[in-house]
Amino acid sequence: MAEAPGAQAGSGTLQLVSRRTHLKELALKNLFLLCAGVAVAGVVLIFAFVGVRGWPIFAEVGPWAFLAGREWNPTAGLYGILPLIYGSVVVMLGALVIGTPLAVGTAIFLSEIATPRVRSIVRPAVELLAGIPSVIYGFFGLIILRPIVADVTGGLGFGAVTAWLILAIMIVPTIAAISEDALRSIPPGIREASYAMGATQWQTIYKVLVPAAKIGIIDAIILGMGRAIGETMAVLMVVGNAPVFPESVSEPIATLTTQIVMDMPYAAGEHRTALFGMGIILFLVSMGLVALVRLMSRFQTAMESGR
Amino acid sequence: MFNRLVRPNTTQRGTRRRTFAGAVALASVVVVAATTMSAGCADNAAAENEIVVTGSTTMLPIAEIAGEMFHDRYPDKKVLVSGLGSSAGIETVAAGSSDIGTSSRELKPAEEQLGLHDTPIAFDAIAVIVHPDNPIGEMTTDEVRAIFSGEIENWSELGGRDREIGLVNRDEASGTREAFRNIVMGDIPFDRTAAVLPGTGQVRSVVSNAPGAIGYISLGFVNDEVKAVTIDGVMPTAEAVVTGEYPVQRLLHFFTAGPPTGLAKEYIDFVLSTAVQDTIIQEAGFTPITGGER
Repeated sequence: MAEAPGAQAGSGTLQLVSRRTHLKELALKNLFLLCAGVAVAGVVLIFAFVGVRGWPIFAEVGPWAFLAGREWNPTAGLYGILPLIYGSVVVMLGALVIGTPLAVGTAIFLSEIATPRVRSIVRPAVELLAGIPSVIYGFFGLIILRPIVADVTGGLGFGAVTAWLILAIMIVPTIAAISEDALRSIPPGIREASYAMGATQWQTIYKVLVPAAKIGIIDAIILGMGRAIGETMAVLMVVGNAPVFPESVSEPIATLTTQIVMDMPYAAGEHRTALFGMGIILFLVSMGLVALVRLMSRFQTAMESGR
Repeated sequence: MFNRLVRPNTTQRGTRRRTFAGAVALASVVVVAATTMSAGCADNAAAENEIVVTGSTTMLPIAEIAGEMFHDRYPDKKVLVSGLGSSAGIETVAAGSSDIGTSSRELKPAEEQLGLHDTPIAFDAIAVIVHPDNPIGEMTTDEVRAIFSGEIENWSELGGRDREIGLVNRDEASGTREAFRNIVMGDIPFDRTAAVLPGTGQVRSVVSNAPGAIGYISLGFVNDEVKAVTIDGVMPTAEAVVTGEYPVQRLLHFFTAGPPTGLAKEYIDFVLSTAVQDTIIQEAGFTPITGGER
């Protein structure tokens, strides 16, 4: 498959490289094409699989009863995922509220304030956070954070609050890395102009640099959002997994992802279809988030070329 | 760029060949991994000297230790044990992806049509556990039911301290939950706001460090970190299980697709032998199935 057209063209016209080398190059090119193809095929196959397995739930239960049903109780034949959507949203928003300032602050520190020496310590430390397996975060949350939350709130310590604290730390590397890139890609002239006009460092940061990197930072937050809503293991271990609308943020709650894990081992029939249906919702959410990021960067390019 | 391509005979050649070899190696690894994976899925349960035992987390320790002893005795035979919950055990053995499904509950009506063969291997009591500092040490079945249905929400209603009750429940795949529901709850539903934890060990660990918590675990898992309460005046002990006095008890099962044969039969016979019944089963806090007529 690799030899046909290129090799003949090569032998007929100017021979730049040996036939061997040419074949190698061609094989390599196709190999990498294959690699990229596998990734794309993976997404398409998974989406098709989840879609085919989950789609019937909208017909069996009805889209309204599925999406807006207030009770998730498979043994009773009730497949309302509203409490789970609610759980996912509550957990994600809280984590963003705590995690974003932390992450953007880290990014500003790394790009504007830290000396190269300090940066060389802080940045790897932040990057290391991204490499910690989520089950370790969950374990840390279960053993260390949960009892502390329990002491403060008087409950068991399972609930959205504990998940917020864990997820806030988990999304820091994502948001910090992309925000820092955005801050660093601001042309140095803008920074210098600000200082030249007598602005202090703080004024430069919050009146000039952060607004200039705004879109990059929003991108970062959206990606952090995706991470928070998709995180499963760490959340599973600390939320308490009760598929209800809790009275307070320190009471057990469940998210879409955690409920899928809890139910997967034994779900059968319609129940299993419902879990795949939840997978469709998660897929759509993450596709929406990626699309949003794409749109934002297009918007930014448009703005910059308009300038 | 062309320049570079024209001179492949210099030192660069070696590096390039190595990269190429690396890429080929990578590709072949991917292919090999893919084929072994699909092969592995196909005949998971078919390997001759290996059986797969899946199911109850309650029974995980005994199945595992018995499996190791079995392997020590017959070094060429292996028992692979995992704990995913009783429902998962029943489902996988029915689907043929495991040889033995362990379950700490009876079959549900829908599961009885699967044609599974039941071998009970031990008795087990389910203990209701609280934090060791909790002054309450006695409950009636009715009180336990009222607590787990959410009717009683504060320890003071039972004469304890004024502290909210932290309900800890098991997940729906759990055989312990199913057995507890059958014996204690009856038709009364569980309080749905309870924390749901996916394993016996987790329930114990959470109850052991939350002063207001209450949960239920297999008697075999009760240790000093938690306090088991008496139910209707009877403390959960092996003796009370044998005499039948302790009300919250059940059988632990090995399910097979049809009567056990081959290696699965050897393993089950081994678990039923006194070598296991009088040691592992008892040490784990369960009551031997051979331990008598009740």
